[in-house]
Amino acid sequence: MQPLLSAERLHKTYGHGNIFSDVSFTVNPGETVGLFGMSGSGKSTLGRCLIGLERLSGGRVVFAGEDIARLSASRFRKLRPAMQMIFQQPAISMDPRMHLFDSVSEPLAFHEKRGRPEVFASLFPLIAAVGLRPDQFSCYPNQLSGGEIQRAMMVKIYSLSPKLIVADEPTSMLDMSVQAQILLLMKELQKKNNTACIFISHDSQIMLTMCDRIGVLGDGDFRMMELDEFAGYTTELRL
Amino acid sequence: MNILEVEHLHVTFPARRGSIRASQDVSFSVKEGEICVLVGETGSGKSVIGQAILHLLPQSAMVSGSIRYAGEEILSLPESAFSRLRGHAISFIPQDPIGSLDPLMRCGRQVAEALETRGVPKEMRPSRVTSLLSALSFPDPDLVAVSYPHELSGGMCQRLTTGIALASSPHLLVADEPTKGLDYVSRKRTIEMFLDLKVKGTDSILMITHDLELADLIGDTAGVLYSGELVEFGPAAEVFGHPLHPYTKGLIAALPKNGMRPMRGVCPGLAALPKGCYFQDRCPAPCTTDLHPPMHDVCGRQVRCSRC
Repeated sequence: MQPLLSAERLHKTYGHGNIFSDVSFTVNPGETVGLFGMSGSGKSTLGRCLIGLERLSGGRVVFAGEDIARLSASRFRKLRPAMQMIFQQPAISMDPRMHLFDSVSEPLAFHEKRGRPEVFASLFPLIAAVGLRPDQFSCYPNQLSGGEIQRAMMVKIYSLSPKLIVADEPTSMLDMSVQAQILLLMKELQKKNNTACIFISHDSQIMLTMCDRIGVLGDGDFRMMELDEFAGYTTELRL
Repeated sequence: MNILEVEHLHVTFPARRGSIRASQDVSFSVKEGEICVLVGETGSGKSVIGQAILHLLPQSAMVSGSIRYAGEEILSLPESAFSRLRGHAISFIPQDPIGSLDPLMRCGRQVAEALETRGVPKEMRPSRVTSLLSALSFPDPDLVAVSYPHELSGGMCQRLTTGIALASSPHLLVADEPTKGLDYVSRKRTIEMFLDLKVKGTDSILMITHDLELADLIGDTAGVLYSGELVEFGPAAEVFGHPLHPYTKGLIAALPKNGMRPMRGVCPGLAALPKGCYFQDRCPAPCTTDLHPPMHDVCGRQVRCSRC
């Protein structure tokens, strides 16, 4: 099977030492690969580099057979819908001055050149699937809870039928009972759509339930571990 | 002996329409040398309790009930009298460690300031700062003392605010979410630091947190808050080992290590609480009455559920 994404000898520096170097791994369709590390280990930066939100200092990312850094702007824009990101802070990941209705229908309206009301109507099945009601989308983000915004984010992202999602600590700001709801929803949607996911977190328990393999970043080193090995590695970090 | 006794504490905030009951009929006590943990999710009113004890609530808050420290009523004390306790006998570790430190003052001076209010003579302060910081397992206390808060990590700022709170050798320490937003290494260090305090056995600690694992590890007694009221209170090992209230059970089942089985629904808003039991919409076996269940004793602990 051809991997969906392959990272080859990735390297990133901001000019004062390496953030990470010599990072290589592949992600198959439908697979969840974790990125684990402590604050400041570069796991978010790596996630952003993988989908082209940040420029690499070295190495290349091949997504669906193409090197994303060498694509022209217009070809890259065609590829964009296939790779999406869920951010850590629900409170600031939606435009505070836009109704959720506009935020959620904007990407599909832009990529497919359709009207927003028409796009929004086509999202109804997805809205039901994440457990929201269409009338909640007439709110501004500050009128909803963090869990509801992460659900709306899921609608926004899955409207584009992505092949890869980078989830950067999607539940670290949520309450315990809501966290479990959102993670299970992510798993369910991922399975239904055969979407691959790169899951970034510093919670080893969540990693073990969500991921198939886990890459550990620490002091600029990168190691890909199977679940058993990761469980052993993190027991010493636990209490 | 009880160092802290909270009885029938009500905190209400006026809102544009009606009022928000952030804390309702909360009663619990903390014994001397004990760690009491209050667990709750966002909006459960847990921080409000800490702020009520420390007289840090905004002026608009309407507070009633009774809070006694070492037998003395402190809720009705005027600010002039209470400020003799705050930061001396009762210390507070605030949420958001980075935001609660002065960004323009070196860390050592911020600790020294706390020692100054305690009446430690000027020439002794630097050495006391160093010994306090090294007791909090800072590898290089002198370097930390001359650093500014932005030069430290979140975990280090957390330990620094703890150091400031401990500088006055308080009898009661109120810690609000000490592990919020920390990564696993800093979280582990913070928990070890509290376990260390527990071993020394000098302080009584009231800890407010959403971290169940932390609560289970360090708590002697534990209370679970839901929508502004306590739903279960008792010895921590029993509350987390054999939960009685369906909400406590749900929280524990939702942890990733227990299979991550989520509770249905969300907490009701504090401005529009349902009649009867506040947990009824999410309860796997809801009761049929409209009566609000009172806290009652069940095998040595208190539970607010008519089915227990």
